[in-house]
Parts: sequence; structure tokens; C-alpha cells
Amino acid sequence: MIARQLSFLAPAVVMSAWATVMLHTIVSGHINRLLSPMFRSYVLVAAILLVLLSVLYLFLYEPAAETSTATLSPTGLLRQLGRWLVLLLPIVAASVLAPATFSSTTLQNRQIDSTAGALPMPTWNSTSQANAKNIIDSDPNQAVPVEVTDLITLSHSPDQMKAFDGRKVRLVGLFNNQSGSNPKLYRFIMWCCAADAQPASVALGGNTQGGWKNDQWLEVTGTVTFPSTLGHVAPYIDVESIKPAQEPDEPFLSP
Amino acid sequence: MTVFFADFDLPSTPVSTGIAWPDVALSFFAIVLEGAPFLLLGAIISGLVDVFLPANTIRNWLPKSKTQGVFAAMGAGLIFPLCECGAMPIVQRLIRKGVTPAVATTYMLAAPALNPLAMFSTYLAFRNQDPWLMIALRFGFSFLVLLFLGFWLVRLRPEEMLRAETITGSPRPAQEMSPNPGLVLAPRPGLSLGGVQQFTGAVIRDFTGVLLFLVIGAAAAALFSTGFNRNLLAPIGHDIFWGPLAGILLAQLLCLCSTTDAFIIAAFVPFSVPAKIAFLVAGPLIDLKLYWLYRSAFKPKFVHGLWIRALAATFLLTLLYSLHP
Repeated sequence: MIARQLSFLAPAVVMSAWATVMLHTIVSGHINRLLSPMFRSYVLVAAILLVLLSVLYLFLYEPAAETSTATLSPTGLLRQLGRWLVLLLPIVAASVLAPATFSSTTLQNRQIDSTAGALPMPTWNSTSQANAKNIIDSDPNQAVPVEVTDLITLSHSPDQMKAFDGRKVRLVGLFNNQSGSNPKLYRFIMWCCAADAQPASVALGGNTQGGWKNDQWLEVTGTVTFPSTLGHVAPYIDVESIKPAQEPDEPFLSP
Repeated sequence: MTVFFADFDLPSTPVSTGIAWPDVALSFFAIVLEGAPFLLLGAIISGLVDVFLPANTIRNWLPKSKTQGVFAAMGAGLIFPLCECGAMPIVQRLIRKGVTPAVATTYMLAAPALNPLAMFSTYLAFRNQDPWLMIALRFGFSFLVLLFLGFWLVRLRPEEMLRAETITGSPRPAQEMSPNPGLVLAPRPGLSLGGVQQFTGAVIRDFTGVLLFLVIGAAAAALFSTGFNRNLLAPIGHDIFWGPLAGILLAQLLCLCSTTDAFIIAAFVPFSVPAKIAFLVAGPLIDLKLYWLYRSAFKPKFVHGLWIRALAATFLLTLLYSLHP
């Protein structure tokens, strides 16, 4: 009897659990850490549909007769239960355990400098360019707020690079300091979801002292230059000030 | 031979700098959250097909010849593009509705591979790196590999390809033919909602049936996409022989959607054009995640055969391109 009830309720429980996890992810804002904006509304629609399906299922169906459940699977109730648990437990566990962004371990596995050729970078759009121009026009000494990816995009455009070379900029990102190289400030770029996120970084020099930890969110203000090494141009920031920063609403940058 | 087996500095690059399990959880969560809505969409379309499209109608639409069917399936992949996750329940439904498994499977492979959105994203990703060449190579090589696979598929009998519960026209009870034999649907008596019941049952059965394989595939994809050190492939990515292999291997491990993969591989500066094309052709056809998704409908032996043939054909084509002067 209990087996029949469990077997009957399992689909509704699993679908409701997925819907709950999806809705919680949206309401809590965690979805910003998982999916690019384009895909977020799909999750909301899916959550609503799953709730509807759960209700419809309970309304339209009833526990199967003992004979049906007995003949349905050669491997028995335990295997059936296992199937439903595989659908239930990993998604709940992942929703609890998933951190805000990737750690430096994954950063290394995904190549911190891999995005040097990934153009066009997201974020350096007409709005951000107009914003930067307004700030420079009003006060050339004021720090221009930019993203890590903006500077990489600029480094591939000689005209824009020239306009920014030597400017004071302000940017927020995650700190990384490996032995044998300059400290870096990086962000992950997310095209569809966090699983495809790739790091993009700028090198830091000058006043970077402060005992900063890897993967700590920092706000850096400094002068940007675009030195060339063996023909490869990469942005470099001579840091004037550096301070801890709040994690941005969008920890990943998206197109 | 010295060209093929250059002196790479592989030992200094570890396969992984370690695995951060919370990062694996983040990757896994992102993959299933991205895939589940599309899987649900596929299940809903599958349910609509089940209720509103009689098997005879579908069969009448399709060419009688299997060879023509393969071309029709490839054309359908172009006209009705679907992502990998969304295609799976629809293909299973089409097979149960009597569409030749070879034709349905060709469509399943063609929908993400020849997807116009994938071509558009390729243009965007490579717009500073000869985008039209990349689109031509991606589309052309995908077409040729699909043709090769399609003509292999038409020679197979359905029972060689499909799991017992997926085979068309089985005389066994409908319950056993479902992709989710763990789900028992007993309609509540006295409700005059036959169509709604059939639709709801089909959607739930298809969604939960394929979702299981998406979860398993996403776990494998999350593990490798976060734990595998991509620097390992950098030294060989430009090699004539090893470059295409590196591209194929990376595609298998990263398990990206066909509309995203171009943005990722465009950033791999150490990879040659053939290596990047190998990545873009092989990935939408099969990877670690898709392997598990395909297992929801097909026999393991068939999936292994498909895997080997898809990757071998991709490798040969990209190697030939790599060798051209």
C-alpha cells in the first residue's frame, strides 16, 4: 500500500521539487550566477509549467492497481525509487552547494588568459562607450568605470586603445595571484550558463599590497596602459588604490 | 612524421590542477537549469504530436525511400532547429509514431548540428577571424558527417539501434514502450478528459524519462568541464595531426550547446582552424552529456558505434583539411 502511494506520488514530488528549486533560484537572485539573462525567463516558464503538470497529474491519475505495479519493472520497486531519487537529490544538493562563482582551481583549469582572442567581448557596447566618453569629456582625471572585458576589447582596437592609454580607470573583479606572474583581476564571461564560463583577466602592478586572497572581490583604481609583449597587446593597470568590493549583482559578465 | 609527432612539453602540464567540488556543483546546476526548460519544451511538443498527429499522417509526409528520408531529415534539421536536449523526447515520440528510426535519428543529429542559430553564433564569435570560412567549414563538414551517419543508419535494423521500450509497433503494453518504465500512469476513472489525460501523461513520461539521462550527463559534463586542465591541449592545438584530435577531445569533455560552442572555441588562441572546426562539428553530434541522453532511447552498443563513427568521420575530414596546402 505504501509502495503504491510512493510510486504514485513520486512524479508529482519530483516535478514540484524541480519547480521549487527553479523558483527559489529566481527569487533569491541565484539565477544570476547560473544563467545568462536570455535563459532566465525560460526557467520561470518551466517552473510554472512543472507546477501545473504536478497538479494535473494528481487530478487526472490515481495510484495504479497492485497488479500493474507488480508487473511494471523486472528490477522492482527499489530501482524505481532509485530513478526518482536520482532526479530529486542531485538538483536539491546542487542548489544548496553551488557557490557564487568558480574558485581559482577551476580558473586555472580554464586558462586565466584564454580569452585574449575572444572578441567581441560582452559589455563594451554603445551604452558603456557613450558613458565612458561622457566621463572623459567632463573630467579627464576622473576614473572611468570599466569592466575587465572592456579593457581586453580595447586592446584589440588601436584607435580606442590610444584614446584610453594612460587613463585612470576603476573596475571590479576577482583577485588572483599566482607565483611567477603579475597579480590579476579577472571576471568570468558566461555565454549561456556558468558551465561554459571562461575567465578574462587584466594584469595588475604598482600598489597591489594588502594581503588580498585569491577569489576575493576587489575594486581597483589605476592607470591603464597597453604594453606589447612579442606582438601580443594586453591591458595592464598600474594600481593607485585597491579595496574590497561587494560581489556584483551579476557575478558573471554576459553578452 | 616529425610534423605529426612534434616534441610537446606535455609532462609539465597536469591533466587537472585539482577538482573543486563546489565548482562541479555550480556547473552541474547551471547545465540542468539551462537544459530542463528545453527538455520540457521537447516533451510538450512530443505530447502534442502524440495527441494531434496520427501515425499515418506522419508516415505519409515522409519519403518512402530511406535514402530520401535521410536527406529529408537533414533538411528538417535545418528548417526545424532544436537544441540537443529538446530534440530527444520528440525523436522518441516520432519513432513510436512509426517514423523510421534511421530518419528520426538523422533528424536528432542534424537539428543541433545544422541549426541556423549555431551558424549565426559562429559568425558572431568568429567575426574577427574569417567568419564565412568558419561557417562554410562547419556547415559543410557537419553535412558530410551527417550524410555518412545517415547512410550507416539506414542499413541498421530498429532492434539493433533502439532500446526495447522505444521500438515502434511493439505488441507489448504501452506502459513498457515508454521511455520511463518506472512511471505507472493509471487514469482516474470517470473523467471525460481523455485528450488532456493523454497529453499530460505523455509530457510527464517523456520529461521525467529523459531528465534522468540529462542529470547523469550533466554530472559527467560538470566534472570534466571544471576539472580538466585546458592548458594540456594548448601545445598540440596547432599541430596538423593532433590539433583536430584535441578539438574533438575538448568538445567531448566540455559538452556545450551548439549555439554557444563557437564563442568558447573562438577564444582558444592555441587552436588551429582545423582544430576549431573539429570541435564545432563533433560537439553537436555527440559528447559526454549527449552520450547519456542518447542512452535514454538507444542501445549502448549502437551509441558506442555512433560515437566512434561520428568522431572518426569528423577527424578524417578535419585532418584532410589540415593537410591541404
